[in-house]
Amino acid sequence: MSSSNEWQVDILDAVQQCVYCGYCGICPTFRELKWETYHPRGILDQIKMYFEDTTKEELKGDISKSLFDSIFACTMCKACENICIADIPLLKIWEQVRQESFKRGRWNPALLSLYNKVKNTQNIFGLPKDERVSWADLSNMVMTKRTQRKASLAYFVGCQASYSGKMEGVAASVVKILRKARVDFTILGDEEWCCGSPVFLAGGYSVGKSFAKHNLDQFKKLGVKRIVTACAGCYRAFKIVYPRILGDKWDLEVLHISELVAELLEQKKLKYKKTIKEKITFKDPCELVRHCGLIEPPREIIEMIPGVRYEDLPSNREEALCCGGGGLLKLNDADLVRQVNSRLIEEIEYSEAEIVVNGCPTCLDTIQQGVKKKGLDVEVIDIAELIKRAIGE
Amino acid sequence: MKKKTRTKFVRYLGKQMKEDFSALQIYSRDMSKLPNLTKLLFNSTPDGIILPRNAEDIQRIYNLATETRTPIIPRSGGTTGFGGSIPYNKGLVIDCKGLDRELLIEPIDQTVTTSPSIIFSELQKKLKLQGFSLCSYPSSYYSATVGGWISHGGHGIGSIKYGSVVDQIVEIQVVLPNGEIHSFYEKENISLFFGSNGTLGIITEIKLKIKFDIPLKQFGCTFDSPVELMKGLKELQEVDPFSVWFLNPSQVSAFNDSFGYNLPRSYVAIISKEISYDEEELAFSVNFNNTIRKAGGQILDKRYITDIWDFRFKTFALLKEYPDFLISEVILPIETSAKYLRKLTGLFEGSLRAEGELISNTHYSLLLYLPIKEPISDFKKTLLMLKINKHILKSKKIGGFPYSTGLWFAGYYSQIYGKEMYKHYKNFKKKIDPKNISNPGKVCSPKMRFFPLLKLKFVIRMASELL
Ligand SMILES: Cc1cc2nc3c(=O)[nH]c(=O)nc-3n(C[C@H](O)[C@H](O)[C@H](O)COP(=O)(O)OP(=O)(O)OC[C@H]3O[C@@H](n4cnc5c(N)ncnc54)[C@H](O)[C@@H]3O)c2cc1C
Ligand code: SF4
Ligand code: SF4
Repeated sequence: MSSSNEWQVDILDAVQQCVYCGYCGICPTFRELKWETYHPRGILDQIKMYFEDTTKEELKGDISKSLFDSIFACTMCKACENICIADIPLLKIWEQVRQESFKRGRWNPALLSLYNKVKNTQNIFGLPKDERVSWADLSNMVMTKRTQRKASLAYFVGCQASYSGKMEGVAASVVKILRKARVDFTILGDEEWCCGSPVFLAGGYSVGKSFAKHNLDQFKKLGVKRIVTACAGCYRAFKIVYPRILGDKWDLEVLHISELVAELLEQKKLKYKKTIKEKITFKDPCELVRHCGLIEPPREIIEMIPGVRYEDLPSNREEALCCGGGGLLKLNDADLVRQVNSRLIEEIEYSEAEIVVNGCPTCLDTIQQGVKKKGLDVEVIDIAELIKRAIGE
Repeated sequence: MKKKTRTKFVRYLGKQMKEDFSALQIYSRDMSKLPNLTKLLFNSTPDGIILPRNAEDIQRIYNLATETRTPIIPRSGGTTGFGGSIPYNKGLVIDCKGLDRELLIEPIDQTVTTSPSIIFSELQKKLKLQGFSLCSYPSSYYSATVGGWISHGGHGIGSIKYGSVVDQIVEIQVVLPNGEIHSFYEKENISLFFGSNGTLGIITEIKLKIKFDIPLKQFGCTFDSPVELMKGLKELQEVDPFSVWFLNPSQVSAFNDSFGYNLPRSYVAIISKEISYDEEELAFSVNFNNTIRKAGGQILDKRYITDIWDFRFKTFALLKEYPDFLISEVILPIETSAKYLRKLTGLFEGSLRAEGELISNTHYSLLLYLPIKEPISDFKKTLLMLKINKHILKSKKIGGFPYSTGLWFAGYYSQIYGKEMYKHYKNFKKKIDPKNISNPGKVCSPKMRFFPLLKLKFVIRMASELL
């Protein structure tokens, strides 16, 4: 695994800036686990001990055990970095420590297996490439003409919407929205490779970089200028990670489906035809809101639906609660995911919403499970599915 | 810790106990990083950390600790800088963050019953959803716990209107070091736990007074000198503020540097007031302006006020550029402290930054930060620390006292809370913790580790005065 200088921060220098205020204790996994070894402030302490030359070698084994355990108990929700009063780039630090753990051969088997699956099959499920567009068959859609055609807009479906039965409605909804608005677009089809998000999250740098290059080549080949996605993970990868690793070569405009819908509504290319009577709330996905600062478009397009009854969750926007499913935590500690998720489910219950709208497949899956477990009568859908309903498709 | 003692705890606690190197290091410090030299005075590395889930766990821990004479050190957010939540000489740190309890808001009585480990920001969020608010809270709003604040003896935003946290406690449940679980309702007994730094047991449940959530509006002013500032602090009480918070000139400069402001290098005060209607705001504004003029101050340009107020929980951020810093806190009387404040502000070539909060009709708290511009030796850092200490102790002459005892100011309880209260504290402590297992070394000055003929208070005072 290689690394790039711009990608890296000087860990010891960054750790030094911590003023020990403890605000990062809002960390959703620390809140559940309680030990200060999981407190981001405590993780920084461990990082210092691990990387400092003055630490005795014989202690480093012990230190690394606790440090790597803590670093993989993180959902990468960015709540810590968001609140950090010293502006420490905590997420970059967490990524670097994950890389260090990979280098030392300390990834757990589930994580390693995911990594290998993505590396070998270019999707997170390890499924054949030629099944990438099978979601279209399931939705009775024909995508042959759209696949690999030249167009300035590309819809990047993402692994979850492409392969997961639970997400099958998401891709179909996006396509219906685009068709309804008569937008010319293309999809990469079999040549769509995982955006690399899970690999980057696990700290896998060079594999992720080869994915980024492949996807960029594909977009360039088709003359793509803008990409739309309904997946918060892909969106983050395109918005934040690709520019970091591809530099100026990455000159494409990236849109979340909510941003594109807002634009299409404004241009009157899209019109709502149906009222939606159920009370709606929106769970800000961490990767949209804290990582990319995407806050208003989802709310704007929901609030424009005729007859809508919308209310934010008590913790919303930058302060939104994490669903627990990010950072590959599911592969490390499924119980912890459920614990973190239960806090969000409490807020959903409090909101009395009948539909919880979301913009991230990971959140969607985690929230659906949480709602089911709590026995709530709440529908959990992607924002693309909601818009599809509102335009009468 | 003896092997036999360890086995006893491990057998009972299993996974609720941690002893690995990393954990021991993390729990051996609090907000302020003590210079290594202080290791001669304290051994703050614990033998283990325990995460109890309920009062019964704590009861059992205290029983085992009494049997084995093991020091028990309660800790919650670990956000104070007085050493209260770290061991004086080894022992077991009890991490209270595992003490969960469902929140109970009673709208008619206007009270909330909560676990001690709830963070202020979280509690406030839950109260606001029901239209209520905390009466007062510390500026470590996002990390401090209610239990930690009570034990530390905290004051904060809102204290001038609603009093300190002790004035808001209706009932407190404590596991005493003798293993009894006890609820206290009487002011006299509740007061014992305020500033007790975990020496009287572990707080496991708290019923607090709350208030309606009335919007806060901010107003600002500046004062050229400590004399005017003190006059202002007195006059401002007439306008019934929710909070009066001020910055000294070097802290104002730090704001100027960080935000590109052009504030005058004087004392800047931000006053917060509960205001429900526009008309009320207008009337208050006139009243406020007159009050400030009467005190010899100037009205602060509106555009700065909200920005500074919004930064009130984050002023520690102004230290991030520095390789190191020292902090301390003192409580001073309004009437007699102008000269002292001027002197303090001039120390260390004027680099000592200060933030004050009016906490009663007569006193204000003053948080001091000394940014250390270049990396310095451990020895030098210790000297600086002792120097700050010296000046805090000097405040006694004008009726001031350290903010809390903790470890660093152990032995100053009677100066802070008065002789009567100290007597009450001592009698109670003797009754419930005869073996002194609950946070030894805090509140009352301990004997020196290596030279038990001397007390820690004496050694620190002598070292400070020699400077
Ligand atoms: C940015 C910042 C701003 C601050 N502003 C303020 C302020 O405005 N006002 C103020 O008063 N302080 C302030 N502080 C100091 C500190 O944050 C507060 O006093 C805080 O309330 C301490 O709570 P804690 O949970 O961190 O307690 P800890 O530091 O963990 O413990 C404090 C003391 O209480 C004891 N203790 C902890 N939990 C229990 C329990 N359940 N039962 C019995 N004893 C217990 C400990 O042994 C220790 O002696 C500030 C600190 C920071 C970092
Ligand atoms: S990213 Fe989220 S889960 Fe990870 S340490 Fe920060 S707050 Fe905790
Ligand atoms: S919020 Fe930032 S400065 Fe404060 S303790 Fe956490 S990492 Fe350190």
